[in-house]
Amino acid sequence: MSMLNDIQELVSAEVISRETGDKIRDYYRNKRGLSINWLYLVFGVLGAILVGLGIILLIAHNWDELSLTVKTGIAFLPLIAAQILSGFSLIKKRQSVSWRESSSVLLFFAVGACISMISQIYHIPGNLSAFILTWVLLCLPLIYLMSSSIVSLFYLIGITYYACETGYWSSPVSESYTYWLLLLPDLPHYYQLYKKKHGSNFMTFHNWFIPLSLVISLGTLSNSNPEFMYIAYFNLFAFLYLLGNLKFLTKQKLTDNGYLITGTMGTLILLLMLSFDWFWKELENKSFRFNELMLSPEFIASAVFLLAAGSLFYTGQKRKAIRDIHPVAVVFILFMITFFIGRISGISVVLINLYVFAIGILTILDGVKRNHLGVLNFGLLIITALVICRFFDEAISFVFRGILFVSVGIGFFATNQMILKRRKANG
Amino acid sequence: MDKKYVLLSLFVIVALVQLFIPAKMILDREKVLDSGKEFKFRTAPVDPVDPFRGKYITLRYDESVIEVKPEEDWVRGETIYVLLGTDADGYAKIESVSKVSPPIGKDFLKAKVNFVEESNPGKVTIRYPFDRFYMEESKARDAETAYQKAPTDTNRVMYALVSIKEGESVLKDVIIDGVPIKEYIKQQSAQKDVH
Repeated sequence: MSMLNDIQELVSAEVISRETGDKIRDYYRNKRGLSINWLYLVFGVLGAILVGLGIILLIAHNWDELSLTVKTGIAFLPLIAAQILSGFSLIKKRQSVSWRESSSVLLFFAVGACISMISQIYHIPGNLSAFILTWVLLCLPLIYLMSSSIVSLFYLIGITYYACETGYWSSPVSESYTYWLLLLPDLPHYYQLYKKKHGSNFMTFHNWFIPLSLVISLGTLSNSNPEFMYIAYFNLFAFLYLLGNLKFLTKQKLTDNGYLITGTMGTLILLLMLSFDWFWKELENKSFRFNELMLSPEFIASAVFLLAAGSLFYTGQKRKAIRDIHPVAVVFILFMITFFIGRISGISVVLINLYVFAIGILTILDGVKRNHLGVLNFGLLIITALVICRFFDEAISFVFRGILFVSVGIGFFATNQMILKRRKANG
Repeated sequence: MDKKYVLLSLFVIVALVQLFIPAKMILDREKVLDSGKEFKFRTAPVDPVDPFRGKYITLRYDESVIEVKPEEDWVRGETIYVLLGTDADGYAKIESVSKVSPPIGKDFLKAKVNFVEESNPGKVTIRYPFDRFYMEESKARDAETAYQKAPTDTNRVMYALVSIKEGESVLKDVIIDGVPIKEYIKQQSAQKDVH
């Protein structure tokens, strides 16, 4: 209210015109309206999720006393109710995001409840992946018809669960290409979000769900040449990292940029894992059959993501000077070379350690240059992680390890101190 | 046409599909139950849980291993057709397995290869598509213990009643000592209450 009074005062004192005063009032009125809508949406969707999950749990009790007909009726009841509700949203409340999203979420769970009830009645076999596949496919059209972003997120969770179920948890496991096909129909919705609701929370959620889903599911392709999965993963992480550096994502907050964070962290964690020598020892002793390898899912995945990352790297690098290229972006190329060196020589493990060290140092220098404490300390953390990994390396003498630790510790103090001092000097 | 009506008619189609698929799941099973042939599979239960569909008992079948010729190439997870017969006691018995669908009119079911033992002769373990029996959550554990309490009791016969038609199979019930498992557990807990 005080704001309205202030505007009144400013108008009467002729500091601002009446027109401007009205505009300011309208602006705040709309803004408040928006946040109220947002609340409706959050509560509507949360309510729908809870009700939906509740129905599934109630059904999972397996009511023995109920007759077959009653059970079948119960299976269809929530489904039909949710369909009517969604139909109503579509006809009457198409403009209301909260109506559309909540009724779609309810329908999503009602479909799951219905097929799970039927599975129970007829003791349909234990295949959880087939169950999930039926479920998400029946709900896929809702993403577009109801333009529901939450169903899109649930769809992503569903297909990721499906990939895990077929690729990691069932026996015998089978590599699943189906996941990649299932991912495609969700992408147009993501594009719509990018076009129409750029910077919205839905977009942010997708910016996290999609890279995480990719990272989780890529491993399901691992079959008889798991070593090549490392190449595939480095390429995937590079692809994610480079995507995260595209303009439309860098405009967002760092925490909203799932691609950049997943890509960076993934690359560093993999490098740290490979800075131990167990992987390289195995690699040197393993024999590959070239013809089999060329057709293996690991090789295909590596090639596809190499192309994806490579083209992004090429287009991004064209506009940049060499020293502006971030070190994380080139790791995928370096690793591939190192991998093949590793087949013939034991020097690869040393190279990997050097890469991590170099990334750390370059990040620190970048932090100093940009006068950015966050970047500086991230660089120091990379070095620390490397040093901690080497702490367990018995091949290195205690004295050397001791000196390493002390110098990194001093490095922390010195560089932070330096930046703080410089900031003070600049006022 | 108005965009709204296009959307709405598409939505109606999706809604119908959402109703049709579960209904078809029901109809397919009803068809097998109605006109399929019944087989009894000797079994033993254990009790795990499914996150979406609740408690069930896993059924392991005695009659699930068959000898195959060593030169035949069986792969884990592939679909196979199991030709069925009945033994002297009236229980289901595997006659043979094949990779191609037997002619209609024979009694067979579709299953998966669970395990291959490469020896001479080789052995294939079959995974039947009726290895789950969903039960009310309070009873699933009782069902398991009821059976396992007396493993030495050879009189206790437990089998799964399965209806089979043209390769498709539906698990009708699990029978212990001649009574359906749900009844059996009720009897057991009634007896427990008396003692």
